[in-house]
Amino acid sequence: MATLAPGAPGVLARTREALVRPRTLVAIGATLVIGYLALIPLVYLLLTTFTDATGAFSLDGFARAYGDPRIGQLIGNSLWFAAGSALVSLVVGTGLAYFNVRTDVPFKALFFAASIIPLVIPGILYTISWIFLASPTIGLLNSLLEPIFGPGTFNVFTIWGMIWVEGLHLSPIAFLFMVAAFRSTDPSLEESALMSGASRVQTFRRVTLPLVRPALLSAALIMLVRSLESFEVPALLGLQNGIYVFTSRIYQVLRGYPVDFAGAGALAVGLLALAALGVWLSNRAGGGSATITGKGFRPRPIDLGRWKPVVGVGILAYFFVTVLAPLMVLLYTALLPYYRPPSAEAFASMTLDNFIKVFNLPSVPTALKNSLVLGAGSATIVMALMAVAAWVVVRSDIPGRQILDHIAFSPLVIPGLVLGVGIAFVYLRSPLPIYGTLLILLIAYCTRYLPYGMRYAVSGMQTISTELEESAHVSGAGWWPTFRRVLLPLVAPALLAGWVYIFVVSFRELSSSILLYTPGNEVLSISIWELYANARFGELAALGVLMVLVLVVLVAIAYKVGARIGLKD
Amino acid sequence: MSHRSALAALGAAGLLLLSGCGGVPTAGPAPGSDQPTAAEAVYAEIGALNGAERRDRLMQLAAEEGKKLSIYTSLNADIADIVVPQFEQATGIDVDLYRADSETVLQRTLQEASAGFAGADVVETNATQMAIIAEEGLFGTYRSEYRDKVNEQFHYDAWTPTRFNIFAPAWNTNLVGPNLVPHSWKDLADPEYDGILSLEVSDYDWYMTLYTHFRQEGMSDAEIDQLFADIVKGAKVAKGHSGQVELLSAGEFGVIAASYTYLTEKARSSGAPVDDKPLVEPVVARANGAGLLRSSQHPAAAMLFLDWMLSDGQKIILENGLTPSVMPDGSDPLGDLKVLPVDVQQLIDEGSQWSARYDEVIRGGEQLPER
Repeated sequence: MATLAPGAPGVLARTREALVRPRTLVAIGATLVIGYLALIPLVYLLLTTFTDATGAFSLDGFARAYGDPRIGQLIGNSLWFAAGSALVSLVVGTGLAYFNVRTDVPFKALFFAASIIPLVIPGILYTISWIFLASPTIGLLNSLLEPIFGPGTFNVFTIWGMIWVEGLHLSPIAFLFMVAAFRSTDPSLEESALMSGASRVQTFRRVTLPLVRPALLSAALIMLVRSLESFEVPALLGLQNGIYVFTSRIYQVLRGYPVDFAGAGALAVGLLALAALGVWLSNRAGGGSATITGKGFRPRPIDLGRWKPVVGVGILAYFFVTVLAPLMVLLYTALLPYYRPPSAEAFASMTLDNFIKVFNLPSVPTALKNSLVLGAGSATIVMALMAVAAWVVVRSDIPGRQILDHIAFSPLVIPGLVLGVGIAFVYLRSPLPIYGTLLILLIAYCTRYLPYGMRYAVSGMQTISTELEESAHVSGAGWWPTFRRVLLPLVAPALLAGWVYIFVVSFRELSSSILLYTPGNEVLSISIWELYANARFGELAALGVLMVLVLVVLVAIAYKVGARIGLKD
Repeated sequence: MSHRSALAALGAAGLLLLSGCGGVPTAGPAPGSDQPTAAEAVYAEIGALNGAERRDRLMQLAAEEGKKLSIYTSLNADIADIVVPQFEQATGIDVDLYRADSETVLQRTLQEASAGFAGADVVETNATQMAIIAEEGLFGTYRSEYRDKVNEQFHYDAWTPTRFNIFAPAWNTNLVGPNLVPHSWKDLADPEYDGILSLEVSDYDWYMTLYTHFRQEGMSDAEIDQLFADIVKGAKVAKGHSGQVELLSAGEFGVIAASYTYLTEKARSSGAPVDDKPLVEPVVARANGAGLLRSSQHPAAAMLFLDWMLSDGQKIILENGLTPSVMPDGSDPLGDLKVLPVDVQQLIDEGSQWSARYDEVIRGGEQLPER
């Protein structure tokens, strides 16, 4: 309380002096924008959660949300599913990133693009591809293996199947985090370990992994929360054998009338508490592992030597199973009038009709343009804000700076529909003509992707030692030149990774887009939804294949450009 | 310190929102005043007219409104993309079409109404959502000779059915031979369907309607519960009717308990081995309909659209595999079928109980026995 009380002139003067410094102004500016974006849906969520229809304080939402006798089982299933998926994606993403950045595997640009392909395939398509591959009844992999292992080797309709599909679908997040982290760590530490007689595995476990701990924790945190909220996989794979999770419950309370925003909010508040704990733990454990110091280093790829063919074959096998097989199923579905197991007749019925229809969909060109604008716009705005915000959280000594981290993380746990309704609520009443324009979608996207931007930027910043900024300072550089010419280039790999992630996933954002778009402002995810809702799977698969192709080209270009301007290696 | 400032910040932002926006969001749309709006005056005036006189007057008023119209609908894109251009061509009115799932159409309409924002002139979506909007008092009265032709079981005060969704079992003809084709709803309880039958996770309106029907037939609740338990036993629960039909075509399921007939027909016409004929009767039918907003800025264009939708538009609905609410020749499309209408009022009053109950019932379907 003492700091709030007036009457301490020394404190006041110091405060005034601190306030006019440019770093403070920039920090305050970024904080205000982030606070504004994130607090609108958060305050809306909390207000609807803790009030009843008359506006009085009420905890009925919690009673309805958690009163279900099976809630314990739901939470148990959810945590098991989320932890499993997070682990799968972390192992896969870290492994791929390590080989991509640190070793001399061939075809790196293609490898990079292929690693993030699962990200661009809409969740519904990716999940259905896996049903076609690993259903005990009609799965293609099962038919292939039947002569050897008997019928139904794989069953995708189990908790293991769910973890596998979700884990693979999320693995690009971990991959992008870890690529940035591996690029920023000094390999000389590993070389020293190797020279001191440690084995490669020991070095990886005891030197490499601790060095990338901040990124590892950030990735784990995001994926845990993401899988807790995942909808498609539990809906398409879990329900069939009665595996219900937390999100089935959120969906259920949002579908009644009157829509139970309080109940859904109460569930989201539960997630919020969990996420806050996660952010706190991650910041506590992530500090103190700065590896980028004043000593220059040049990451040199490790020569895999005689392991090269083994690693090469392993990576090829991985891509065959997780990327190529689902993609082939998509392509196969896209070429057929309707899905049926492969046979001479099926191959005879193949046409390009679905691709032609996709090109003739009237809304697709506009939707594609809008999605590109929104994706690039929100990715750029979020990462620019986050570069400053991460500095505030990790570097500054501004009191209460951790709050910014928590607030920026909150949109992750707010259900998309609630986020959309919260934004609509405010801008329907705002005198600014934002409702009904593309701008409201941009605001929604920026809000939605703040948490990812924050984690990418914070984990990047945590790996940079303060000594570089201190040297810049000593050499007479002010805050801004130091930030722009020392800190930003160092944290660039993490910012670029965050940018790529937001750009790609923004193509999939549906729940708030569909509420907030207006005719003429359609986005690609709405075209995808329409194809799904109208049971036009062939065309949906064709669109999915086209999106993957576009992504691979874009990412390969970005990768080359990134290499040229020195963001890579 | 940090926690205090967080709370302070939240509180301040909350107050700001509250004072600036004048209401708690859960308070819902403010009930409209009882004063008739300008749009309602148009609805009343035109409602008394018929034939060419009505159309001419509507065209005249629509021209004065600027020949514009905004429609919110959950009609499929394939069909909306035919309906709207034809209407534009017939009337010269420029249409803005917002398309989303029925829950989102409802949310958007309610949110805009609560802020006094006149977004839509016409809303066209599922019965439940239409009834909710009607209950909020957002629709004006629509009278016309076209409305009078709709099947009497489907007359609602503030909105008018434009098409029907019909639930009937569908099967994969490769997996279900002629001797296994279901002929009644009760057949689905047969153990022969264990392992191949699929139920949809949110079909509680179908469940409620059949349950009520069996009660009226004199079955006891215990008997009905047993019947549904037998149906659910060995069934695979899925999410989404369109995904269900895709998996039926692929052979993952053999039978869908309650498929939309238009989705089955669409798969069948693309060559997939699926069928639902002869339809299991009584079919369960749920109306989709349209209503005219009291806050409409283009009431004449709105009325012109609904008139057109219930006459010329019905032909397009029929040609594209949906069930119109009035046949193009003016007859009743459900005429020959035994029909169980989904009771919309019951759905609003008791929906959450039936939804919870259906969730309980389908949980009995978990865990297929190992084969």
